Amino acid sequence: MKDSGAVRPHEAMTSGARARFAGAVLTNEFGLVLLILLFGMLFALGTRGFASPFNLFTLGRIMAINIMIGYSMMVVIVTGGLDLSVGAIGVCAAMFFGWLSQRLGLPLVVTIPGALAMGAALGAVNGQLIVRSGLHSFIITLATMSVFFGFMEFVTRAQAFRGLPPAILAVGRMRYFGYVSPLLLVSAGVGLGLSALYRLTPLGREMLAAGANPAAAELSGVRVKRVIVQCHMLAGALAGIAALMAIARTGAAIPSMAGDLGQDWLLPAFLGPVLGGALLSGGRVSVLGAFLGSALVSELTNGLLQFRVGEFWVQTYLGLLLMAAVLIDLARRKLVARLGVAP
Amino acid sequence: MLRMTHALIAAAALALALVPAAHAADATRVALVPGGPHPYFAAWEKAGQDAKKDFNLGAADYRVPQKWQLSEQNSLLESLLSQGYNAFLVFPGDPVGSNATVQELTENGAPVIATAGCLKEPTTALFCFGTDTGHSAYLGTKELIKAMGGKGRIAHFTGFLVDPNTQLRIDAVEQAAKETNGAVKVVQVIADIDAPGPAEEKINAYLAAHANDVDGIITTAWVPAVVASNALRRIGDKRIKMVAIDHDPVVLKAIKDGFVNGTMLQNPYGQGYIGSYALDRIRHGCKVKKDAPFKTIALTNRFIDSGTVYADKSAVDNYVGAMQAITKTIFAGFEKTYLDCP
Repeated sequence: MKDSGAVRPHEAMTSGARARFAGAVLTNEFGLVLLILLFGMLFALGTRGFASPFNLFTLGRIMAINIMIGYSMMVVIVTGGLDLSVGAIGVCAAMFFGWLSQRLGLPLVVTIPGALAMGAALGAVNGQLIVRSGLHSFIITLATMSVFFGFMEFVTRAQAFRGLPPAILAVGRMRYFGYVSPLLLVSAGVGLGLSALYRLTPLGREMLAAGANPAAAELSGVRVKRVIVQCHMLAGALAGIAALMAIARTGAAIPSMAGDLGQDWLLPAFLGPVLGGALLSGGRVSVLGAFLGSALVSELTNGLLQFRVGEFWVQTYLGLLLMAAVLIDLARRKLVARLGVAP
Repeated sequence: MLRMTHALIAAAALALALVPAAHAADATRVALVPGGPHPYFAAWEKAGQDAKKDFNLGAADYRVPQKWQLSEQNSLLESLLSQGYNAFLVFPGDPVGSNATVQELTENGAPVIATAGCLKEPTTALFCFGTDTGHSAYLGTKELIKAMGGKGRIAHFTGFLVDPNTQLRIDAVEQAAKETNGAVKVVQVIADIDAPGPAEEKINAYLAAHANDVDGIITTAWVPAVVASNALRRIGDKRIKMVAIDHDPVVLKAIKDGFVNGTMLQNPYGQGYIGSYALDRIRHGCKVKKDAPFKTIALTNRFIDSGTVYADKSAVDNYVGAMQAITKTIFAGFEKTYLDCP
């Protein structure tokens, strides 16, 4: 028989702890962790190579690049915008790095910040064009994607830089404990930095406010236009980091590293943040969610290749699995709503 | 809960059903991996099947990256190593950018032969086995110049700029033209068009505007050869001479009908067949001879020519025989010439 009287203190604590536990368990991030574990078990049981140290190492390495590409898009999604030029910016930063290293012979302490500065500068161009024209970032970055990439091809004559310092390739080949790529640690570190930005700094809170409700943010003293430019600069710099990681993997700066116009980066750029729970209308992101979302997509791609579903079927199966993941997540959200627990 | 348990059991059963069969540890399992989807490499599939049967290999599978993109190819190669393939014939997606992945393959005990395209030295690949693309383009241009009567203007339609062979081809065509002391000029090079969309767009646009300004066409990639053959058939006057590359039926028909003068045949079947054989021999104790008579080309000093031959109207009907004859000749002396076996 239930006690219908006043709730005693110890019971209140228990009920509060339960709610907090239920809230944590039913978060988007927890759902992604579950999916990663579920598919990880499926692939490990179903293939001979998925759990091998070499595969885990290469999976971690590609995961790191995809996560960084996802961050690059995420920091623009915060403002309710998009950046279709992330791939083109990444390639430009990579080629600039190659030019500084190979042609000018500059050391890594100069070339790495140089590449990031190039990414940030191109991001600033995007941001300025968006705030000055008043057009949606979709239109502006669609145009600058072609402009940046075309200019890069013209300047480099589409020739790769292949005489890069061996140290950068050594980072790509390095393994901790036999299977952990240091690139993955870089992605985790950058993720922690971004989390700190959004949680602990006024700038991060201004970015979220500008995305949630630009008019209200403006009235509260946030210089929304400046914040939008800063978000695009950050996106450019993050695309530059992703490009440097891609160089570390291959040892060369190659114009086609992100496909034609850099379009091959668009899918990983959107999937990670969106699966991670970012609102496309802006104002809310989850850095951990973007990390886990990108990790899930990388894991699915790798697992499907291991399953030998046929190289040309990978995209189809990837789409089906992502749809399944989204449906599972939808079921989780419905459960959250039914239980009335705030995740 | 019960439903979920059933679902998990079903998933586990599916997973177990898909576990690849165990393979003998010492069996050679070759993966033949091109840079991306392309008709040139289609012959590798049959070559692998024949090699598996003839040399009793564990596998010799043709595995194609989804896109012509280095990162896709690298991911596929890494995955194939994890799946148990222990020998690789690889067309490098990039002459330097592929080296890092090739090194990882060899460090894990899987020998690699750069096939149909070379890696830039230093590389851990055993050697490069492919068409001497520069030489083939040079010979093709010489044939074209002969057909043009030793003078005139040439347009050159060629492949992906990321293909390590493309620059070699461009240089070779220029070289052959230069040797005419100005009688022949290369007036246009259109590159990066080894795919139907860009090839149709750029070749047709060029010929629509400049057909009267050229006397000869040399094509050094598969798709441009097909598109240019069709374009010359449409123009129809046979004034423009053309030498193509490879053996697409459209090209062969155009040669028979007189719209194209001839084609430079390559030997993709031989590359896949002999390459698989060589990898198996290497895995069973053979070593590459240090003093083997390798050729030196721009990218490497360990190059083996898989053969090329010019086929005009008189030879086009027997092109398969020509390719098989090349393969047979190279295969007959391969082990003795290039390998030291116990």
